Amino acid sequence: MPIYNLYMGCSVPANYPNYEAAMFKVAETFDMTLEYMEDVGCCGSPNLRAIDFFGWLLVNARTLAIAEKNGHDIVTPCNGCFGSLKDVLHHLQHDEEDLKRVNAELKKSGLSLKCTIKVRHFVEALYTDIGIEQIMSRITRPLDGVGIAIHYGCHVLRPADVTEFKPEILDELVRATGATVIDYPLWKQCCGATVLPVNEALAIRLARDKLKSMKEHGAEFVTVVCPACGNQLDLQQLGLKDSFGEEYNLPVLLYPQILALALGMDESEVGLELNRVPADPILDHLSG
Amino acid sequence: MAETKESAEPPTILVDPIDMSKLDQSFCNEIKSMPYGEELVACFACTTCTAACPIANQWDYKPHQLIRMIILGMREEVLSSKEIWECLTCFQCQERCPQKVRVTDIFFDCKNLAAEEGKVPNSIVALGKLLLETGQLYEVTEDWQREDLDLEPEVPGLATEPLKEILKTTRTGRLVGSDE
Repeated sequence: MPIYNLYMGCSVPANYPNYEAAMFKVAETFDMTLEYMEDVGCCGSPNLRAIDFFGWLLVNARTLAIAEKNGHDIVTPCNGCFGSLKDVLHHLQHDEEDLKRVNAELKKSGLSLKCTIKVRHFVEALYTDIGIEQIMSRITRPLDGVGIAIHYGCHVLRPADVTEFKPEILDELVRATGATVIDYPLWKQCCGATVLPVNEALAIRLARDKLKSMKEHGAEFVTVVCPACGNQLDLQQLGLKDSFGEEYNLPVLLYPQILALALGMDESEVGLELNRVPADPILDHLSG
Repeated sequence: MAETKESAEPPTILVDPIDMSKLDQSFCNEIKSMPYGEELVACFACTTCTAACPIANQWDYKPHQLIRMIILGMREEVLSSKEIWECLTCFQCQERCPQKVRVTDIFFDCKNLAAEEGKVPNSIVALGKLLLETGQLYEVTEDWQREDLDLEPEVPGLATEPLKEILKTTRTGRLVGSDE
């Protein structure tokens, strides 16, 4: 029964409580103990890294140091938080001088960082520590082979030497539910969420390219493991309908929502009604 | 034999030549000494980064040009460019670089240098301000949604003060302070 330091960040609890709830349902099923980390908050996002590298290092080093106190791996459901924590850890493991500067600051609040802690995305912990076989043995309502396009999200995949995350992880997790993974050309492409603050039109173009590519290759649903990507691909569909008259009708589900449904859980338990593009059509694809 | 008349006109050029006197030779070393800047000078301008970039088609300066501009010392042009702020941080350029130049990470370095000079788009300063004042980018407003899903209405363990305290002492504090 593995125990984890759960790092929520700010976006999932505020914008996607359905993701949080579904993650807990899945974790309970497989005896994963997720303990909310104490005394931590927002990771600052790549925007903080852009304007204030040292501030971003400190904020995330503090989180890492708090987790190091009990030593349990950090897991997070957010690609942004995952990227920040992994990046900071990687940097401080390779830059002694910055680690010294960071530790000098952390010392003031009685903390210190040795860089021994592990940072993991929730889905990777599920894949590695529980395993596909174990997951499949608990599926009671498998999906009927319906086509799902996976949007991994940039900050879980890249830079690969930092994130150490393989796309196969999510492929296999989706297949374990009985669904089919759709191949589409733009699978690696960014959803556009990061550029929203400086160029909204560009962000919309990127979401549109992505949704088009998914739809054209037969996707009926989309799955994501990041609140920012989820928000972008889900919400922009409403805007694209207004501005371009284009309807994609691609429900965007957080991966644990799909798994929880296949594990036999009820739609209200995973907050399906909070997904903006109606996601309940997935219920028609559950057998058994 | 007819004599060919030589044209007195200069050849047609697509871009203005670089004014060599305005190059800042120290810029390349400055970036090289920053996090992930080390491989910068290994760039051989193959343009793979630009081919990998999903938005380079609408940039005036393409990713490979920005890298070349840094090496040449075009400090002002790079640090004032809109491109560094529009970078998606998707890391596709960096992932494909055959010379292992950390292109995306280097653009983060450029943004930090630009920020040190106060050259930050207002919308990004606003995010810095939000972090400094509230300690987070998103706040739970509809706690009933959380309760409906059997979650605690307030996020367990959440602390917003530490981030505010940290950013008061770092560049965010100076950037947001000088904006007011």
